[in-house]
Amino acid sequence: MGGLQKKKYERGSVTNYITRNKARKKLRLSLPDFRRLCILKGIYPHEPKHKKKVNKGSTAPRTFYLIKDIRFLLHEPIVGKFRDYKVFVRKLKKAYGKTEWSAVERLRENKPTYKLDHIIKERYPSFIDALRDIDDALCMCFLFSTFARTGKCHVQTIQLCRRLTVEWMNYVVAARALRKVFISIKGIYYQAEVMGQLITWLVPYQFSHDHPTDVDYRVMATFTELYTTLLGFINFRLYHSLNLLYPPKLDSKAECELKEENEEDYALNSECYLEKLSALSASLARMVSSAEEEEAQLDQFPDEMSTNLGKREQKEQEAQKKLFDGLKFFLNREVPRESLAFVIRCFGGEVSWDKSVCIGSTYEVTEETITHHIVDRPNASTQYINRYYIQPQWVYDCINAKIVLPVEDYFLGVTLPPHLSPFVEEKEGDYMPPEKVKIMALQRGEKPAQEQEDEEEEDEDEDEEEEEDDNDDEEEDEEEDEEESEEKNLKKMEKQRSQVKVTPGKMKVENPERLEQEEKAEEKRLAIMMMKKKEKYLYDKIMFGKKRKIREANKLTAKRKAHDDAEKANKKKTRK
Amino acid sequence: MAAARRLKRVVASQPGFLNFKSSSESLSGRRKRVNKNKKKSWNKHSDINDVEEFLEDVRLQERTTGKGKTPRPLRIDLILQQDSLIPAPKDVLAYQQPNAKKLRRISQKAEQLAAKGVVTRRQKRLLSRRPVTKEAKKSDTEANNNPNRDYYDIWGQEPEDWYLQQTGKKRVKRPEKLSDRPSVLPAVEVIAPGGSYNPDFFSHQALLKEAHEVEVKKQKEEDKLERQLAVNKDDTATEETVIREQVEGLVEEEEEEEDEEEAAHDEEDEDAEGGSSLAKKKTERQRKREKADKIKELRRLDSKRQMDHRQQLFQLRSIKASIKQQEQSTEDKQKIRKANQEAEKSQPRRLGKLKFQAQDLEVQLSDELAGSLRQLKPEGSVLKDRFKSLQKRNLIEPRERAKFKRRHKLKYVEKRAFRAIT
Repeated sequence: MGGLQKKKYERGSVTNYITRNKARKKLRLSLPDFRRLCILKGIYPHEPKHKKKVNKGSTAPRTFYLIKDIRFLLHEPIVGKFRDYKVFVRKLKKAYGKTEWSAVERLRENKPTYKLDHIIKERYPSFIDALRDIDDALCMCFLFSTFARTGKCHVQTIQLCRRLTVEWMNYVVAARALRKVFISIKGIYYQAEVMGQLITWLVPYQFSHDHPTDVDYRVMATFTELYTTLLGFINFRLYHSLNLLYPPKLDSKAECELKEENEEDYALNSECYLEKLSALSASLARMVSSAEEEEAQLDQFPDEMSTNLGKREQKEQEAQKKLFDGLKFFLNREVPRESLAFVIRCFGGEVSWDKSVCIGSTYEVTEETITHHIVDRPNASTQYINRYYIQPQWVYDCINAKIVLPVEDYFLGVTLPPHLSPFVEEKEGDYMPPEKVKIMALQRGEKPAQEQEDEEEEDEDEDEEEEEDDNDDEEEDEEEDEEESEEKNLKKMEKQRSQVKVTPGKMKVENPERLEQEEKAEEKRLAIMMMKKKEKYLYDKIMFGKKRKIREANKLTAKRKAHDDAEKANKKKTRK
Repeated sequence: MAAARRLKRVVASQPGFLNFKSSSESLSGRRKRVNKNKKKSWNKHSDINDVEEFLEDVRLQERTTGKGKTPRPLRIDLILQQDSLIPAPKDVLAYQQPNAKKLRRISQKAEQLAAKGVVTRRQKRLLSRRPVTKEAKKSDTEANNNPNRDYYDIWGQEPEDWYLQQTGKKRVKRPEKLSDRPSVLPAVEVIAPGGSYNPDFFSHQALLKEAHEVEVKKQKEEDKLERQLAVNKDDTATEETVIREQVEGLVEEEEEEEDEEEAAHDEEDEDAEGGSSLAKKKTERQRKREKADKIKELRRLDSKRQMDHRQQLFQLRSIKASIKQQEQSTEDKQKIRKANQEAEKSQPRRLGKLKFQAQDLEVQLSDELAGSLRQLKPEGSVLKDRFKSLQKRNLIEPRERAKFKRRHKLKYVEKRAFRAIT
């Protein structure tokens, strides 16, 4: 009889959840290993709807995982690798303790490692799934690549992150996929469109670095481990979609240009190639493939690229991609070289810098075909005639406005116009800063002459006002009705007037009371005219309500009257 | 005497005044003996003008011609020169090499053999040894974060047993719920337009206002706590109250007051008793009355109910209106509840012991704004921002740094010397 009784917490939502410690014991892993495994596999804790039930009556704060997820984890192959690693650490400590250095060497050489490829394939079964999650991966990789190479996190991870970020930037340059840039106080936000997906990532500034102590570096390192693998595979796929060699190689023509005598001054031989790639000043080598394959891939190209854009928008995009075509830029020493080089090359411009700054400069200051020289100092030292000396914000603003803006506002020493965020989409009624209005005017192709601008601003203001007025018209329907009735009255009066003949005038005794009433009525009318829109709206509503009551009262009386008349008529008939 | 001397000096310094002593006399006459063995007095009583002129001339020459008249050799070089005719003795021990003869003989022999083309046995063995090829560590090349690792097309056509090859196990189906995102928030949230390095006025003000409101809220909470903990000054004990408390029940003046109080109490008791005795007389009548009242009440209520029923017919419109209002209010509440639920979805879930602490808004005050990109000072740390974003999206639970806990308590023992002192 005791066995048939229903016990509490044996069925329902309790059976779906398991606490963290229980899960850990089931997997026989230590807590840091368990956390790493969960991060790598993409298993997150859940908050149950009825915590008290799941927690078996207590309200202690516990972390819950779904039992199905934990059971799934039991089949994971890298769990064995974690255990092997634990054993390795134990053996290594023993060898160290016994000062058996040969054993230490041997153990170190056979350190157990694991690969995450199968996890990537399992978490992201298709390429588009992986592309959707790439935002996070990019942010992490860019962040880690700016770390200093102290021993805090593996130096290899930092190197790998740098390599992957450079490859990604080269891809974006080759595909001309960049759409928006925003320089904020936190870092630089970029947005690119790759295969129809909008990808946003944040790049921190090179020169800011404080290592906050409340960030868990192990967790971040685990995430980065996963994301580097993911990003590497995505890069491979993207390079192949553009028919480029992977791992990326510089175009042979460009490499000849870049070859300098003092390459050793810049970097070690091993790092030389990566540094040249990271300079982003040269184009990448394409795969040599047979003609058929190329055609097949070319056919795929437009299908992947065309999203739900109309023809006009496609044209605009094409025009945007060639924004800096034909322009030659030179970067002065004090401007952020990597960001500007990346951004300029993304839109077809050529860029170079001083030889002593970095490897990979293609032409010198003295080159005469340079069209724009980007300086960030209050005054430039030597002035060449046929080039513009501008501040770096011009480049970013041009990209966001999608047109080449007039250079006058960005000369040296001029107060710059504010750098607006391209990620903000203003609706019709919202406030639009006047700079944005100007840019929109320029986009429409109107000339930037000041008078015309003022006129356009006025026109736009009027347009906005008219739009607002139009929205108010819906409440003015009754007024329109009244206006119609007034018009009818007017017409009647005109008819009457036409029938009037000229007669000698009569004295009209003016009633003082009537005068007073008229004055009051006039004052009232004035007050109504002077009311603000909001108040007028309320007043109209009130009057409408009052009038409605009056109308209904009239209707009722009319009905009553009609009914009475009908009854009278009936009575008369019956009497008769 | 000093005053007289001073007066003489002052008088003598007036222009156009002849000295008491004639100049010739002062020149040839007895000169006052001055001590020039200290720097101060030397500087006062020496005339170095001619030397200074010469040096100025030399310096001018140097400046103009660039080299100077004669580059004088340094004193240290002069010192180190050997100006003695006797040469210094050679230190034989410094040049001695142990085994020098033997080594010389061996090298000469080797040269002769090499010239002939003979290769000794030893050399042959050395050459035939395999060269040491330092292989890259297997652990490094196979590691996941090897900077030179290869990638391949993982989404392309995979072979049938790819999973088996990779891991050595069969593939297990992944539960579908795992493909749901844990949060609807996007991975990267772009900062508001007021966070631009060169923001426009209104958006910057809006961002400042937000930050200000957060601070105001915090301040309000602190103030609330302060208020709750505050002690009313009037409640503190003054000397008077303290003395009164201590003296209570001890002083005889209180007896009169006690008598009065007793009298008051008695009266009240009497009244109460009187009240009860009077009440007892009327109980039966009361019961009857109560019954009659009850029946009346029931009848009244009944008639009222019937009246209400009848009147409801005329109140239909207002009843309809009230029903409509109720329905409206329930609809509104439903909407609000749904909106709250939606908002909850974007909130970070409570996953563990600690609540999620949102980070401070990154905003630069008006005087911190940089005019140019060169002078920009970055605000906030992207590392922290990413960490918080991971917590916000329910990917990890918020945790604090693990404290160092000692397993066993430390024992403190005094040194013998200290024990002697104390």
